[in-house]
Amino acid sequence: MKVLVAVKRVVDYNVKVRAKGDGSDVDLNNVKMAINPFCEIAVEEAVRLKEAGVATEVIAVSVGEKACQEQIRTALALGADRGIQVETEGSVEPLVVAKLLKGVVEKEQPQLVILGKQSIDGDNNQTGQMLGALTNMAQGTFASEVKIDGETVNVTREVDGGLQTVQLKLPAIVTTDLRLNEPRYASLPNIMKAKKKQLDVYSPADLGVEVKSHLSQLKVEPPAERQAGIKVEDVDQLVDKLKNEAKVI
Amino acid sequence: MDFTFSEDQLLFRDSVRDFLVNEVTPERIRGTWESDSGRDDGLWRQLAEMGLTGITVPEEHGGLGMNELDFVLLAQECGYVALPEPLVNTALVAVPVLTQLGGELAAEWLPQIAAGDTRVAVGCAENGLAEDAAQCGLLLWAEPQALYLLTPEQFEARHNASVDPSRKLYAIDIAEGVPPVATGEQAAALYQAVLDRGALGAAAQALGLAQRMIDLSVQYTSERQQFGKPIGTFQAVKHHMANVAVRLEYAKAPVTRAAYALAGDESRAAHAVSHAKLAACEAANLAAKNSIQVHGAMGYTWEVDLHIFMKKAWAMAGTFGDTGFHKQRVAEHIFADGAVLGAGTTF
Repeated sequence: MKVLVAVKRVVDYNVKVRAKGDGSDVDLNNVKMAINPFCEIAVEEAVRLKEAGVATEVIAVSVGEKACQEQIRTALALGADRGIQVETEGSVEPLVVAKLLKGVVEKEQPQLVILGKQSIDGDNNQTGQMLGALTNMAQGTFASEVKIDGETVNVTREVDGGLQTVQLKLPAIVTTDLRLNEPRYASLPNIMKAKKKQLDVYSPADLGVEVKSHLSQLKVEPPAERQAGIKVEDVDQLVDKLKNEAKVI
Repeated sequence: MDFTFSEDQLLFRDSVRDFLVNEVTPERIRGTWESDSGRDDGLWRQLAEMGLTGITVPEEHGGLGMNELDFVLLAQECGYVALPEPLVNTALVAVPVLTQLGGELAAEWLPQIAAGDTRVAVGCAENGLAEDAAQCGLLLWAEPQALYLLTPEQFEARHNASVDPSRKLYAIDIAEGVPPVATGEQAAALYQAVLDRGALGAAAQALGLAQRMIDLSVQYTSERQQFGKPIGTFQAVKHHMANVAVRLEYAKAPVTRAAYALAGDESRAAHAVSHAKLAACEAANLAAKNSIQVHGAMGYTWEVDLHIFMKKAWAMAGTFGDTGFHKQRVAEHIFADGAVLGAGTTF
């Protein structure tokens, strides 16, 4: 079974994000970039499926500028077999990414596509679902457990108030939630091996997709700073404030 | 000439940094102080899985075959987290010495080290004590005229307290009749190698320790408020840390230079190492002193993590030759008959 995993280059989750002085975008100058944590979980799941003998090949795909090859190499170091970069310029919207991924899906014909449920920069939570709609493949989002059973995959989803298990016919799309697994570290020997693994580069034209922008970003600004709290005299005053000022009880 | 580190070397450094910062937390280090062995077997296994125990082991023995220059950045990362495990001594001292010995000894031990199955401890007469001797599967003990490779039944280890609770120090009594694996000139050359490589490892770790103490201090002084402002905004406080940052920056080049000299087996490697050790340990000592200052009374408490790094910095200053020893070596080089002095030659 061939598994396609999408990975995205994002600002490292440890970095405190800052807006540019003119508020036009997030400042990415000298900022550490990394593989999106949810995508890392997706890679780990695919590699585990391969180690379990369920998957035969794991392909890591990323959409972005040349720099995103770094994240594809990370996925290769974590255990993916080969990589694909779809080279685009600037930021691309989830719909465009989904269309490009659809092109890759048609080329590679994977039985399973695993994506992070969302990226920690845009927080859109759209690409997996859009890819499902475009390819007409079954989808199991927010997965906390993935079990392949013959021609189907059972996906346990994290939903409000509990867990929901859905059975999907393969080929299918799964998007990962935080608790699906704990990704491994790439070992140094595997980092070296990853440099020799195959990495193909496609342009959007190769996949028959026109990159269009439907949105324009008006402003980026940091969240308001948290104000200092106050000390209350007694419990009665606390209850009064919660009831009449905060209106939470 | 390009003096910058290669893309691969920086990639390795970043990967190892991510791993160490996430896995070797101050809480985990404190946990080892409470354990019977003082060591964390799970962590050693993780280091082996990362490929770190075999990083300098030749490829034919199951390692990655990297050199001192490749490892020196990683040793700094080990210092940054105050790694208690003897990884730096293993990769930078024990493995190269075993490789130099070659033959059956190398064939027997190097694959085990690369796989993480055998921990190696290193000690030398200059130190007097061997770190981790009671926790190892193989002890490399170097004397000026004899080099020993000892399995646990071939020596007795007597515990000595250290200022750093993460360090497990032991005096060594070699059992009667155990022969050295090298004597005479060969042993003298290997003793020199142990000393130089150990000193380089200590210097590289001191750089990482200094950086960590700067980071901890910057974080603390950005949060601690006095007169309605973070104390880090006051010049008297920020100058303390700026002085450390400058000293640290100037210490980095000598450490890289020493690693380059050892990797290239240069004749001037010994004094390059001494220069590196002096510069790096001075930076770390200044970092410790000034960090305590800017932390105020909090810096003296057991609960604040600063002392983990401060005590390790003190320990690094005294291991594999103290300040006097290394100053003496530099002086001997400068004052030697026919010494070529000046830019590009003295250091």
